[in-house]
Amino acid sequence: MSVPNLEEIFNVLAKMIADKMEIDVATITPISNLTELGLDSLDTFDIIFNAEDHFKIKVPNDQVNIETLQDVTTLVHKLILSQQK
Amino acid sequence: MAKQKPYSRVVVTGLGVVSPIGNGLAELSQQVFAGVSGIKKFDAPFAEQLSCKLAAQANFDPADHFSKHTYSMLDRISQMALHTSIEAVKHAGLTIDEALQPRMGVYLGTGMGGASSVEEGYVRLFKDGASRLKPFTVLMSMNNAAASAIALEFQITGPNQTFSTACSSSAVAIGEAARLIRHGYADVMLAGGAEALLTLGSIKAWEALRTLAEEDEVDVSRSCKPFSLNRSGLVLGEGAAMLVLESLEHAQARGATIVAELVGYGSANDSGHITQPSVKGQAATMQAALHDANLPLQSIEYINAHGTGTQMNDITETNAIKQVFAEHAYNLSVSSTKGTHGHLMGAAGALEAVITLLALNSNTLPPTINLAQPDPACDLDYVPNTAKTLPSLDCVMSNSFAFGGTGAALIFKKLALKN
Repeated sequence: MSVPNLEEIFNVLAKMIADKMEIDVATITPISNLTELGLDSLDTFDIIFNAEDHFKIKVPNDQVNIETLQDVTTLVHKLILSQQK
Repeated sequence: MAKQKPYSRVVVTGLGVVSPIGNGLAELSQQVFAGVSGIKKFDAPFAEQLSCKLAAQANFDPADHFSKHTYSMLDRISQMALHTSIEAVKHAGLTIDEALQPRMGVYLGTGMGGASSVEEGYVRLFKDGASRLKPFTVLMSMNNAAASAIALEFQITGPNQTFSTACSSSAVAIGEAARLIRHGYADVMLAGGAEALLTLGSIKAWEALRTLAEEDEVDVSRSCKPFSLNRSGLVLGEGAAMLVLESLEHAQARGATIVAELVGYGSANDSGHITQPSVKGQAATMQAALHDANLPLQSIEYINAHGTGTQMNDITETNAIKQVFAEHAYNLSVSSTKGTHGHLMGAAGALEAVITLLALNSNTLPPTINLAQPDPACDLDYVPNTAKTLPSLDCVMSNSFAFGGTGAALIFKKLALKN
């Protein structure tokens, strides 16, 4: 399986957030702050859960403190590279 | 010594309902008095795996009432409980402001809580082989999720408790909430129950108890037949019903329309067998409510029976009514509405309390439908098949009994003001 690039990962995550929070995907940018998009800590866990499913990765407990969408995108990309066999 | 608390009369000022025979009071009222059944062939994808393919499903789509973000964090039980609470508060014309929030609480009854969330988790783990569960699994399946969702919605900070005594859960919740108001611990309570247990696992568990009704060969909607000689059991149902209970002073001060006074609540336990009801326990329950109401036996004109449609319950309840009311048992009317809406388990007591209040307010008794073959052992007036008008109806009782033994009876009376 080819490794998605940062832009592709961002697009998947932005769509997940837009669906969950019922907001326009066009309003979500890489520097969007998750709290400002309306996500609380549980919503963030939910997005991470869905990202784990989608990208077949496992996010360790000590790496779930994230603030911006860019943080998630970078984290997911890093984990795909290190965990994909 | 605890400080002496004030004593308040408790009134009902708001009602909200989602049931297999209608959502909202107008629809419920129309269906239950006409004796229309909401029992159908179950249309779930797993119905083929069931021996008993009957269910009383509520026509409730959360997307009609909540944002996706809200409803996706709530199990079906909480969605229905929250919706009916909002409806009850609207019906009561109640404004929940900062002054009221600490003086208002939520007491809710449920038998099985977030059954579908629990089951979804099990399927994921044990069937699909997943290694982890959704982050919301605990928060959606815990038994107090529904009561918590209601408190969050209205920002109410008074007592918030969940009662789980199987089929009497919500009657207990209503009765205990009334006590809280009566003794001054709260001014207003949202009290009732919710149940959403129409999952493969729950129904299979009930099938194993051999208490579910057999399908009527002619008309499946007529499969639940309380007090009829050919009764074969109960039909599982889902839904929610919530009541706004209020101290009389609080209701009067805000000029609320009063539905009725909750004058009595009693609870007792069978303590004889885990499933078999006892005349002793059921009679003690009704006697406790009458004692609480401080009313003569003759005051009770109508009893909305637990009336599950099982052989055992209906005979036991009939005998318990005879033991408590003696000759008056033959003067009062008794009906079970479970033939129309099925058995809502933890929500049954609350739904039937709402129906009992609708009866009181319309001077009309809902019928026991499907009573085609009178049972010689069940020889009271069960309001067979057709509603009955009682122009002077003033005082009514609603019974709830349960596996595990906990019974609860509620007595409602038209409000009479002294002087």
